[in-house]
Amino acid sequence: MKILSPKLLTKLFSLHFLISACFSFSAIAADAEQARLSLERLSKSLRELNFNTSFVVVKNNQAEPYHWLHGVVDAPENKNVNDGESSKGERETVIKKVELEILALLNGPRRDILRIGNTVSYIEPEYAPYSIDSSQISGPIPAVFGRDISILDSNYHFVSVGKSRVLGRAAQLIRIVPQDEHRYGYWLWLDQDSGLMLKLAVITRKGKLLEQIQFTHLEISETLSDNLKNLYVTELPKVIELSAKNTSTDFAWQVNWLPSGFKEIKSDRHRINGSKQAVEFMLFNDGLIDISVYVNPSAEKKRAIEYANDGATLVLNQVVNNVEVSVVGKIPLASAKKIVNSVSFTHKPTTP
Amino acid sequence: MSESKFETISSLVDNYRVDEQSSEQAIDDMLKDEHLSATWQQYHLIGDVIRDEIPQTLQLDLSAQIAEAIADEPSILAPKSVNNSSQQTFKAKVVQLIRPFGQLAIAASAAGLMIIGVQQNTADTNEVITPSQVVQTKPLAGFANPVSFNFQQNSQSQKQAVIEQRIEQQRRFQALLSDHQQQVKLSAAKSAQSKEAKQSLLEKDD
Repeated sequence: MKILSPKLLTKLFSLHFLISACFSFSAIAADAEQARLSLERLSKSLRELNFNTSFVVVKNNQAEPYHWLHGVVDAPENKNVNDGESSKGERETVIKKVELEILALLNGPRRDILRIGNTVSYIEPEYAPYSIDSSQISGPIPAVFGRDISILDSNYHFVSVGKSRVLGRAAQLIRIVPQDEHRYGYWLWLDQDSGLMLKLAVITRKGKLLEQIQFTHLEISETLSDNLKNLYVTELPKVIELSAKNTSTDFAWQVNWLPSGFKEIKSDRHRINGSKQAVEFMLFNDGLIDISVYVNPSAEKKRAIEYANDGATLVLNQVVNNVEVSVVGKIPLASAKKIVNSVSFTHKPTTP
Repeated sequence: MSESKFETISSLVDNYRVDEQSSEQAIDDMLKDEHLSATWQQYHLIGDVIRDEIPQTLQLDLSAQIAEAIADEPSILAPKSVNNSSQQTFKAKVVQLIRPFGQLAIAASAAGLMIIGVQQNTADTNEVITPSQVVQTKPLAGFANPVSFNFQQNSQSQKQAVIEQRIEQQRRFQALLSDHQQQVKLSAAKSAQSKEAKQSLLEKDD
């Protein structure tokens, strides 16, 4: 074996310094750009690939195993062509891509989520099976990863951190870092081959792991799996009508502080299924996480703040002047406390 | 019989290195001594049971004591005598009858357990907060009296009340948690609907 000459060595060293200098200048920008591309690829893969995968949600020293199938089928559809120029209403057969999806919890009572295109059905022990008009399933994996991730821009940074091996595959670690201390960070390990998710972790600002999803099996195929073929010919439960009238319900209270970027998604009055308690309810969302605020009269005069965690999800409430205010969401304790204390009342709600 | 002999046998069974001289001595002793050789067998059986390597049907040519001990362990081994087996089938039926209810109860309580389980984790990170299952920043209202000042009965009923309050709060949290998840699901529908409603309206306008 040849020994490198000192001349060549010095050349190599100078080259090395040159390269590292270049990297340090552009590293941050390149990392962010790389991260964004990876997340966009993830979103595309989640919508377009036929995959059959299993994952385990690990939280509270418990593991919940799931089976997740996704596929795309070409569906011929008769459509009224009705564009601006020729408004004659011609009938034309259009090939439309329809997404099929099954997400099933494998332990305990059956909890299945089925999706054909824009209809999502939930099969759960608490309710009779029902469908809703939606193009996203709401399971343990945030729906935003299969959609337009740019809505996270204003509240999160994307950082491409490095490579590692997950599920026997080469994986790229992407961190979704919150821009303030009021929410948690998300770490994603993405498959270099397919762009799909291999692992997902919810991490506090101090780096403590709260909840993680580890994929245990991933299979990508050209053709649709039998389960999805069966799903495609299945008639889903009836789509329930959700009254869209109460867009801005008039409450005698308001939430005066939320982390930046949270928008009101809905507000209504309903009864909580478990306790039959009538509540006034508001739901907020920053693109990635949801925060629920509940207000209801209480028999108790006063109760200090109490809370419990379910993985990253925090449930917190307090009673002040016979009014119970509760906050639920994947947010740090300090944020939830701040939210619950920011609720103010224009006049006292009806006493029990 | 000295303790050290048993210890040497135990080490031999576990494949620990014992110095050659004492191991040879032990083996010789064992071959001579019936009691020691029985111990050798016993230790092996114990090891097998611990490692869950017992064969389906056990050859009961071991010492009488082991056989007896095993007969008292119906959960591990197959029934031995006719008397025992009739008892066991009865037991099995009862278990079968009870099991479905037990499973339901577990399913119903599993959700509640989640909260308790995590609470301990979070308590670890927040030193400021008392490590109770539902972490409180302040004591529950109405139960601030020190327990030791009261009569036994009184304090017990107070404890009971605190426990009931805890359970009540756990239920409340569980209900809130599942309602939150439900509302998130339904909100997905609504936002999709409103978007599509807008789109369809636009299409109709054309």
